[in-house]
Amino acid sequence: MSYLSLENVVKTFNKTEVVKKLSLEIQKGELVSFLGPSGCGKTTTLNMVAGFLEVDGGKIEVDGKPVHLLPPNKREMGMVFQNYALFPHMTVFENVAYGLKLRKVPKNEINTRVLEALEMVRLSGYEKRYPKELSGGQQQRVSLARALVIKPKVLLLDEPLSNLDAKLRQEMREEIVDIQKQVGITTIFVTHDQEEALAISDRIAVMYEGRIEQVDDPATIYNHPKTDFVSQFIGEVNHIQGKVVETYDNKKCKMHFFGNEQIVSIPSAKNSEVHFFIRPEKIQISLGVSNERNEAFQTKVERKMFLGAKTRYILRIQDKHLVADISNTVLNPSQIKEGNSVYTYWNPEDLLPSRMVR
Amino acid sequence: MRKNLPKFFFNFVCFLVYVFLLAPIVVVLLSSLTTTEYIVFPPKGLTLRWYTELIEHPEFMQSFTLSIIVAFGTAAISTAIGTLASIAVVRRQFKGKTAIVQLVGSPLLIPSVVFGVALLQFYSWIGLAASPLALILGHIILTVPFVMRLVVASLVGFDRSIEQAALNLGAGPIKVFYQITLPIIKSGVIAGAIFAFITSFDDLTVALFIVSTDVVTLPVRIYTYMQYQYDPIITSVSSIMILFTVILMLVIERILGVGKVFSSKN
Repeated sequence: MSYLSLENVVKTFNKTEVVKKLSLEIQKGELVSFLGPSGCGKTTTLNMVAGFLEVDGGKIEVDGKPVHLLPPNKREMGMVFQNYALFPHMTVFENVAYGLKLRKVPKNEINTRVLEALEMVRLSGYEKRYPKELSGGQQQRVSLARALVIKPKVLLLDEPLSNLDAKLRQEMREEIVDIQKQVGITTIFVTHDQEEALAISDRIAVMYEGRIEQVDDPATIYNHPKTDFVSQFIGEVNHIQGKVVETYDNKKCKMHFFGNEQIVSIPSAKNSEVHFFIRPEKIQISLGVSNERNEAFQTKVERKMFLGAKTRYILRIQDKHLVADISNTVLNPSQIKEGNSVYTYWNPEDLLPSRMVR
Repeated sequence: MRKNLPKFFFNFVCFLVYVFLLAPIVVVLLSSLTTTEYIVFPPKGLTLRWYTELIEHPEFMQSFTLSIIVAFGTAAISTAIGTLASIAVVRRQFKGKTAIVQLVGSPLLIPSVVFGVALLQFYSWIGLAASPLALILGHIILTVPFVMRLVVASLVGFDRSIEQAALNLGAGPIKVFYQITLPIIKSGVIAGAIFAFITSFDDLTVALFIVSTDVVTLPVRIYTYMQYQYDPIITSVSSIMILFTVILMLVIERILGVGKVFSSKN
């Protein structure tokens, strides 16, 4: 039984559907990310869950009760905004206490609960400060404390980290997951940052043009994308195409890539053109050929970029470019120079089939 | 030494500007202390006689009270109207919005004499006699544009997710307005109220057309008195007006901080 459920939710702006019959079931205590490019409807969907936008169709239920007709102040949801949205005229304490005061919680209980919440976000001692006296990361922690102190049914996070710098963003996301697990609160996390989504989510809902393309755990999303959009949006891909030269009992076929042959386990008609994606880190290169690498083909290193732990090689074959990311512990980048010819190969299992026709 | 020269020049120019702005006030204050029967600057001798003589002119006190009542009424109503109108204008899209904004702002462009004549015509047409209410209504039209200018300025760039956050925490729309929106735009609203008060308090041109023999505001009283007599009573009344304004500003400064009120952001 799911805790938060969206059923055929629709949102229309000026006659264009920006959210198209979206359905999603979220379990209690689960952290689900909405991931997608801007304009995919992820924030719109979040705003409908929070009640800032009305749904134009479908329903939203929390714990078996419909909430989509309630105003936002009756939904018992805690929200954290991208730009923190702290009340500038109130101190940190007053900000966090605001929701409790509205609920007429007795004064000494407010006091203990606010102090507990601030301790949870590691901001004890900052009670009397005003928001403008805090750094971005601290403001976002206050915002998190303010949302959680009212013990909401659902926690909604709207790109909470995108205004922070890279290092702080990483720290904060770990902190958010720790707190989320500790409290055990059902959470929706909206982001356009795939790395962020992969790192923190129990499940990711990849959204595109108002639809959910795929909902799965991060590893499944990355390794077994169900649609071309998911393959291309999550991580990077090389696009390659090949021709089927032979088929075996409808399960495997022999493919022709760049003048090489490889057996791939997908059913396909003979002589048809097939498209694949392959991730840069799945491509391997070497200066010499070994036995197991008899499927390798030769490419020319056009550019080499040192990226710290790995090196990115831009390889050229015929009129195509391939991007290969290779760990510097596997292959010392100083061995390979721009202009070198290298043997290039991959495991056929790492090919992601594409439905794309180009 | 050389580096200080531009700075010295800058300070000197600032000094001259202040002298130019403040000199008339000093002249009025000092000449109210003269012992002569006519207004003269610099004053000859020092006396408070012209202040005590005010007691024999209760009409000045009546006018002073009336002006304050009208100014407070105007400030209260036009701040309320102006603030709400500003919120509508900044946040809502509706048909004829530009037209309404221009119309509300037009008293800033029309010469106040023209406006006074128009009000006179209009009031006699609808049969509204000279009264504090008639003055307040006229002054509201005159001051709403000021309030709107200031409140709109404080609303532009207002982050509405702050209000959403309050809603999300359980506050209804009315609580959100009084506990969140209003305190955040407070500086613009108070500045608007002060402008409205002062504009109403020293309005002469519009009031001239509306007043009657029993309903006379202080500026009109001073103006008409001066047409027949030119004794230092005028300067003592003017000095009291100046002092009143200064005290008002000090009180607001004590409560809210005028520096805060007139700076654009918190």
